[in-house]
Amino acid sequence: MSAPPELRELIARDLAPARPLPPPSTRALALVPIAAAIVAAVPLLHELRPDLPAIGALRAFGFSIAQAIAGMFVVAAALRESVPGRQWTAGQLSALLAGGLALPAILPGFAASAFDVAPRAQGAAVIAVACFRTSALAALPALAAASVLSARAFPLRPAVAGALYGLGCGLIADAGLRLWCEFSAPSHVLIAHVGAVILSMAVGVAAALVSRRR
Amino acid sequence: MRGYLAGRMEAFDGLYAALASRLRAYLIALCRDAALADDLLQETFMQMHRSRRTYEPGRPVAPWVFAIARHVYLMNRRGSARRVRFLERVAAAVRAEDAAQDAARLLADVDAVRRALREVPADQRRALVMHHVEGWSFAEIADRLGIRLNAAKTRAFRGMKKMREQLK
Repeated sequence: MSAPPELRELIARDLAPARPLPPPSTRALALVPIAAAIVAAVPLLHELRPDLPAIGALRAFGFSIAQAIAGMFVVAAALRESVPGRQWTAGQLSALLAGGLALPAILPGFAASAFDVAPRAQGAAVIAVACFRTSALAALPALAAASVLSARAFPLRPAVAGALYGLGCGLIADAGLRLWCEFSAPSHVLIAHVGAVILSMAVGVAAALVSRRR
Repeated sequence: MRGYLAGRMEAFDGLYAALASRLRAYLIALCRDAALADDLLQETFMQMHRSRRTYEPGRPVAPWVFAIARHVYLMNRRGSARRVRFLERVAAAVRAEDAAQDAARLLADVDAVRRALREVPADQRRALVMHHVEGWSFAEIADRLGIRLNAAKTRAFRGMKKMREQLK
């Protein structure tokens, strides 16, 4: 079976050598400096968590770095999703999303001195808003970079790719936030921390859909 | 695939010879229409060409190409649904003045749309039909016609305006 002449003509007209994109894991490495800057910037711009002497640097920094690395893995998964023929199955996707969302919900309990360290009742809303805003804003630079990396490939399911890189960037931002916020009460963690990660996912979906239409 | 990425036409011919019949069978299985499958096959190779740099050397070609073929099929199906909605919308707009129309009048409406479309300048008509009837995005239209994105939008918009004027 040979190609029709009109198709051959169209292809021949535009047949310049094309350099293939590097593998998704290599492309995700481009985000390492941004991720490191985000994790470092949150405690630098605010302050280190006050219970750092009590929990020790290993627990504080160790869990944050582990979460940031997990975020990078999720971004790499998004970049893999953006390559035709390498999409994740429904089961793999569910595991990635559930695991990714579980991290910011569970890790604060292990990183804090107790599982229910809560802000004082009268200041709880202000602190929750500050955490939510800081995490959501901190995710934006990584989101912008991940969106460009994903769009340079050919995501056949842009919403899925966007949700994944939004989740990854949300995890990276939350990893920085953990170096500032010492609270581990479920109400605070779910609303301010997991909520910000979910917002980051929604922004990722919107960015992927917009970049696909353009 | 390496030769194709390096820009060799004979490598494309080899790729076509190796994949076309399997892709065609796959597309026929999806759309159950041999003529449509032939169109989708050409579009699959065009899409494959546009996104050839997303192929990772060393990995099997088939999953990559078949994923693109499935995407082309789904886009076509979405475009068909949009085409049906467009025809219904145009017919409904024309029908609005007289709700109680019979089938003959509906056919006349479609005929009126065809005649109105003929009055639209060729470049605008092409962009209008590609977007509203065939379901192409403006970016794809710009790409295919070799014009800028804004020009594609403007042509489709002006074409639609002109057609509406003709239908009044």
